[in-house]
Amino acid sequence: MIFLSRTLPVIVAFCFGVLGIAIYYIPHAGAQNVERELALWLRIVFAFSYLLGLYSLLNLHWQRIRQRVSGWGYSVVVYIGFLLMMFFVVYNDGQGPFAAQAEGGGYQWLFEYVHVACSSTMFSILAFFIASAAYRTFRARTPEAALLLVAAVIVMLGRVPIGAYISDYIPAAAEWLLNVPNLAAKRGILLGVSLGAIATSLRIIFGIERSYLGGGEE
Amino acid sequence: MIQRLMNIDRRIIFVFVFIGVAAPLLANVFLPIKPTDNVIAVYEQLEKVAAEDGIVLLSFSYGASTVPEMQPMARAILHHCFSRNIKVVAVCLWPEAAGLAQQVLEEMGTEFGKTYGVDYAFMGYKPGNYSVVLNMGQDFHDAFPQDNWGTPIGDIELTRDLRTLRDFAFVFDLAAGDSIEFWWIPYGQEKYGFPFAGGCTAVMAPDLFPFLQSGQLVGMLGGLAGAAEYEALIGRKGKATAGMSAQSMAHLIIVAFIFFGNIAFFLSRRS
Repeated sequence: MIFLSRTLPVIVAFCFGVLGIAIYYIPHAGAQNVERELALWLRIVFAFSYLLGLYSLLNLHWQRIRQRVSGWGYSVVVYIGFLLMMFFVVYNDGQGPFAAQAEGGGYQWLFEYVHVACSSTMFSILAFFIASAAYRTFRARTPEAALLLVAAVIVMLGRVPIGAYISDYIPAAAEWLLNVPNLAAKRGILLGVSLGAIATSLRIIFGIERSYLGGGEE
Repeated sequence: MIQRLMNIDRRIIFVFVFIGVAAPLLANVFLPIKPTDNVIAVYEQLEKVAAEDGIVLLSFSYGASTVPEMQPMARAILHHCFSRNIKVVAVCLWPEAAGLAQQVLEEMGTEFGKTYGVDYAFMGYKPGNYSVVLNMGQDFHDAFPQDNWGTPIGDIELTRDLRTLRDFAFVFDLAAGDSIEFWWIPYGQEKYGFPFAGGCTAVMAPDLFPFLQSGQLVGMLGGLAGAAEYEALIGRKGKATAGMSAQSMAHLIIVAFIFFGNIAFFLSRRS
């Protein structure tokens, strides 16, 4: 049993990990075919991950409804929304679930006038909270905080037309901040993250990192 | 008194922001917009494609929450493409994007009298994130055997002869996530070497500057400001241009409150 739950997955991870790296750099037709096949498998795995996500979401909200935890009413809304959308997708304006999605119809209407409208509103509300949070927390308590504050103000004004109205130097300063100090910091972070990802991938490929198998330490 | 000034009720701030955003939109105020180099680079690349009679691949990787920022950008890019008779193939790498892409493609296609299948094609959504990009590079027909409505790719005039990502003169990704830096650049642009640019939300834009400097991105449209700059280049006063007045006011109000808060803070320290 240990072979099936521990050793075999490590062997599979090693074989496909090494194969995945190797074929990326081999332009031979045979290697390209293998790569194409692997990419197709990946897409199938991705598609199944949606089912897992759906199960996880519905199960979580079902538990919340069953146990009547605080705010369980919102979980009911999740179920109503899901079932309503599902109904219109399957109904598909009378054409059934196997035909291409009909133009217009209940699903399109719900997507455009409920989902898009609600999601955009939720995202837009951030502007109000950012304004309030910026007022409360953006204080020049230390020289570093003052520097950050000045940079933030320049970028905020420089990225909108009113900045150029105030002074032509503001957009230029904003561009410089984004192109020089921001770029330097982002590149450092990106290199660090990439090196970390390479190290983690190698640890998984060579079986050093096994936490993805679950079950804690052997 | 100073303490009260330092702790203004947040509802007062909300009212200021609301008025600051709503007033310019209702009054239809348009501020002059000066395009930046990164946006001009995208414009020039599309002009080059128009001169070469090439095909553009437009990737939609955003969802409903970022529609106010991303949809004007998609509209501006499509406006430029269709006005210069550039053929466009659209794909979706985010499930939510399919409905949004269809909407904007049909809207702009109708505005410019374009024919589906000849001037533009919509391949719909495929799950798989970066593996779809990889798949498109290997065999475009394999990645998208049918369009969004089930028509085989070989039956569509525009897509019949497209075999790989290298067949596109330019690829542009409209992204609200990490699709530009983690899907398109490593698995598409780097591997297949096509001219690539992206449009993203304003919060993502600073993350992409290293790719601009390295040349992996030809140009970039950052947030509503990027879309407005593009509208200025194509001479269209759309939602992005209108939105920039509102955004200008909102930024000004936030800066004013920060300034006000700091004055109160320094006065409190002195007292």
